[in-house]
Order: sequence, then structure tokens, then C-alpha cells
Amino acid sequence: MTLGYTGGVPSSGYVEIDHTADWALRVHGVDLADLLQQAAAGMLALAGALPVPDATTQPRTLRLQAADRETLLVRWLEELLFLLENQGLLPGPIQLEVGPGLQLEARLRLGPVGRLSRAIKAVTFHGLHVIDTSEGVEATLVFDV
Amino acid sequence: MVHKKDLQRVGPVVWEIPPTFRPDMRVPVRLLADERLLDAALGDESLTQAVNASTLPGLVGHVTVMPDVHQGYGFPIGGVAAARLTDGVVSPGAIGYDINCGVRLLSSGIPFADARPLLGDLASALDAHCPSGVGTKGSVPLTAKELDRVCREGASWALKQGWATAEDIACTEENGRIDGADPECISERARQRGRPQLGTLGAGNHFVEVDVVEQVLDARAAQAMGLQEGHLALQIHCGSRGFGHQVCSDFVAELQPATRRYGIQLPDRELVCAPIESPEGRRYLAAMACAANYAFANRQILAHHAREAFEEVLRGHVRRWELHQVYDIAHNMGKIEEHTLAGRRERVCVHRKGATRAFGPGFAGLPPQYRPLGQPVLVPGSMGTASWVLLGTATSMEVSFGSCCHGAGRVMSRHQAKRTLRGERLRQDLEQAGVHVRAGSLAGLAEEAPQAYKDVDAVVEVVTQVGIATKVARLRPVAVVKG
Repeated sequence: MTLGYTGGVPSSGYVEIDHTADWALRVHGVDLADLLQQAAAGMLALAGALPVPDATTQPRTLRLQAADRETLLVRWLEELLFLLENQGLLPGPIQLEVGPGLQLEARLRLGPVGRLSRAIKAVTFHGLHVIDTSEGVEATLVFDV
Repeated sequence: MVHKKDLQRVGPVVWEIPPTFRPDMRVPVRLLADERLLDAALGDESLTQAVNASTLPGLVGHVTVMPDVHQGYGFPIGGVAAARLTDGVVSPGAIGYDINCGVRLLSSGIPFADARPLLGDLASALDAHCPSGVGTKGSVPLTAKELDRVCREGASWALKQGWATAEDIACTEENGRIDGADPECISERARQRGRPQLGTLGAGNHFVEVDVVEQVLDARAAQAMGLQEGHLALQIHCGSRGFGHQVCSDFVAELQPATRRYGIQLPDRELVCAPIESPEGRRYLAAMACAANYAFANRQILAHHAREAFEEVLRGHVRRWELHQVYDIAHNMGKIEEHTLAGRRERVCVHRKGATRAFGPGFAGLPPQYRPLGQPVLVPGSMGTASWVLLGTATSMEVSFGSCCHGAGRVMSRHQAKRTLRGERLRQDLEQAGVHVRAGSLAGLAEEAPQAYKDVDAVVEVVTQVGIATKVARLRPVAVVKG
């Protein structure tokens, strides 16, 4: 099942791939910031997260820094999982920048989550490599469920 | 990728990948499987992950791979590896995010025939009493101080609240409390996730299941466990919830630089580790013990809720509705244990991920009724198929560091299960087969369909053939609650 590709060459998007026990996504982005955006969209789609319709949203800025791209990707998704599971908050549109030294700043609009159909326990480092490709960057993520 | 030609048959159902297979292997990998289960293990990345696990520093013996193995993350589910305390490492990813995920079995004197008309009501009552689902909040929100007590005391904390019996505690691995827990090693985020979730089942493959004891194969052991043919039993499968997940996530992150600092080369970052006796290793073990104790308390509270449900539905309809604990066992845990290696007793850290402890007769940590028999080993099936109650043996100490399988083991991906199975149809099929189902999510139910799992009977045949366990009883599901 293709979740996030809109057609054509998948330079930006995500696709669910087979994993015996857990969930895995192959994610593509035109750059690292786009990869982080697509990974977030893919993870939230896997979790079946839907907002409360027409609910009020609130702005929040997340700032993260990591030693390498893989750690930044894991930390970013873990932040979103925490918001989802513990705070019951789902991000709407995300504006995201990655600056020098792998400093991430994400401006979110958070609203209450209306439905969450699947539990994701954790974002893993299993086989995780952010790879440069001719069209941008790519990574395969495994989620423990 | 490991191929069949890379394995050497060293016993009727034992296969070895020798350390010559890859230069970074430190010990062999041994898979317990018949031909069919071997083919299943070769069908995904299970054995590559086991080979990766064999590169961890300080391992002794061999990495054991159980017949219910399947691909996980870093370390395969169904893997066992032991590291020397003196020069070995502890790896959070080799224990898993759901620290002390495990199974509890309770027996009853309730005849199936008497309870049969009430099983639908019983399933509904269990569903109502045992909070389940994604990110669920439990019935016992904890203050920060209470959470610390749960971390230190485990199931005994529930006993003090009146939610356990002394028999429950005695019939729980490690008496429901792992030594060495230090709440100072727990992050604020783990605390935030842990405080609201105690007494919850969660989602995914976790369940509460009512079974009927279909067949007793060891009358003496079954009697000691209170298991009688044709009577009901109850299984609870869950773990340390968001608390344990966060503890593991915290230490997988914290140990990334530590692994580099100690000069440890790994084929997969999910296997990050630290020397057991290092400050980082000790901190992880202290935090892991907190999460393990949280899980023991969690299953204890769920057992209390299940007892309430049984009483609510069955009182007045059957003569005895009480549930007696058979045993509670972990299948994601790192334990410091003493084992015999080359004729010498040595302390090791046994990583069991999707594998249970299976100590044989005479083990002093068992309650008196089980000491002459061996430790109960609980092998749940897959919602529509059998579960097994086994006993650990002395042979398991030689073959698998006193370990056994933990379930049927997945064979079909969740992605494929979602594509090919429909939750509503599955529920109808199970109901027609006499299994009452209450599920929070039909999509989640489809992912957990019996067709997605291996044949649990075949798994049990292998472990009994190898001699790491013996059969006590076979259970058949009659009501299942899934998150």
C-alpha cells in the first residue's frame, strides 16, 4: 500500500514496506528538512492519527539538535509520538528548517487528536541510514509496535 | 542475508551458523527449528539479526534462536544472548522497548460447561474492567513518589494496595520485583509517560484471554498449578507500557556516544551497548529494573481487574469464580544470572528478547510447589489457536542459558495482514469458532490474526524435542480482549 506518494518519481514521500512484526517506512525527501516532514507524515498515517474536526489549534516551536542526521530523525519523531500519546496533541501543517550543526526548528500548530488507531512504541535506529541520492535524501525507518 | 547453505545441522532440530560465517561474529548462532520453522526463519531478516547480535563484546556460549523467532529491530525476537559480567556488555535494544513484556496465567475451578452461556458477558466485563487501547490512561494515576515506589517494589506495591495476594507474589518471576531499581535513573519524560498508564493493557499484540484447559499432559504439574481439564484459565499479556518504551528509547540514545567511547564496533546502531560494569551499563540496568517492576505491577493490577470482572459476571452462576495465579513470566528482560560455562560457575547478563526464562527443577527462586518440577513456562498462541503451559528443564541450562520460546511467532507482516485480512470478517470467524472477541480496533485485530502467526504446536514440539521444556497442558481460547 502506497501511503504518501502522489505519483511519478518518489523524490518526496513515503511508502510502507514489509516487516514481519513491526512497521517500516521508506521515506524520501528533496533535502533533510523535507525528509523529516515526510517521515512525520508517514508515521502519523501509520498510527491512524486524525484530528478533532474544527478544533482550535495552538502554536508551538520545537527545537532539537543532534550529532548526526539519523539521531535527529529519531529524536524528531519521538517528540511527535510523545505529543500524540501523552499530550493528546496532533500537529497540523509543519514548518521546519534544519540549520548548521543539525539544529532543527519546527513550528507546529497542535490540535487535539480525535482518533488514534494504532500504537507505536518507539522509533528505532535499526538499519537506519540517511542516504544521499541523486534526487535528495532517503531513509528506511522501523517502528516498534 | 543468511541462506540455508550457511547453516550446519548439529542436531535433529538444531542448526548452527558458525563464527566463520562472518568475521565480526564472536560466538556461533544456534537456531532451534524443524525444517518448516527453519524456512520461516530464513524468510525474513531474523538470522541476519542473530548474526549481528553475535558480534556483541563479551558473549559466551552461543546466541540461541528460538523456533518462534521473527525479525525485530537490532536483535531478533526470540533471541537469547549471555554476556560475561567481567568483559561483556548490556544492550537495551537486545532486551526491547517493552521491558518485561510478559505473560501471566491464572487458573480456576470454573467448569467451562457452566460458564459457556456467560462467556460473551465475561468478555465484555473484562473489556470494561481492563483499560486497553492506544495511549490509554489507567485506573490508578500515580504521583511522582508513588511511581518511585512502583519502580522499587514492583508487584509488592500492588499487594500493599490490596490488589494482590501473597500467592500472586510468590508465583511471579523474581517475586515480582527485580533488585537494583533506581528511580534516579529515570528521565522526566519516562515519568510523564508512566504516571497515567499503570493498570492498562495497551494495544498491538497485548491481550487478556479466557481459555479452557483442553488437555493435561503432566497431571502432577497441572495439579500443582491448579489446572484442570475442562476448566477455565486466564492469560494476561502486556508489559511496561509507555514507561518502559521511554526508558529503552532514552538509553538507546544515551548509549550511542558511549558505544563509540568504549571503542565498540557494531553492525547496527540499534544494538548500542555499554560494558555491564561501566557507569552507563549500571545506569541502564537500574532503569531497566524500574521498568521491569512497573510491568510486574501492571500485570498484577490487570489481574485484580480481571478478578473483579469474573466475580461480577460469574458470582451466583458458578460455585467458585476465584482466579489463582499459576505464574507470571517476563519475555523481554536482561537478567544477571549464574551459569556453568566450561565447568565453571560464572555470572552473566542474559538478554532475553521474545524468550522466557525456563529454569529446571531445584531452582531456589521457585515457590515450593514448583521447586521439584521446574519453572512454569507460558507460551501463548495467537487468539484463535492453542496456548501451552510447559516446564523448564535442567537441559535448558545447557542449551539456552535456561531459556525457552515465548509464543507462536509472527510469520506474516502487519502490512500483508492488513492487505489480505479484514477485521470484521476475522471477528465473525472467531465468534463462529467459539471465541468471543472484544477489540478496540478492527484494523489492529486483522494485524493480529491467527494466520499471521506460526503454528504454536510446531514451536512447542521443537522445544520439547530439544529438551529445554516439557509439556504440562494445552489451552484453547474462548474469549479474547484486544486493545
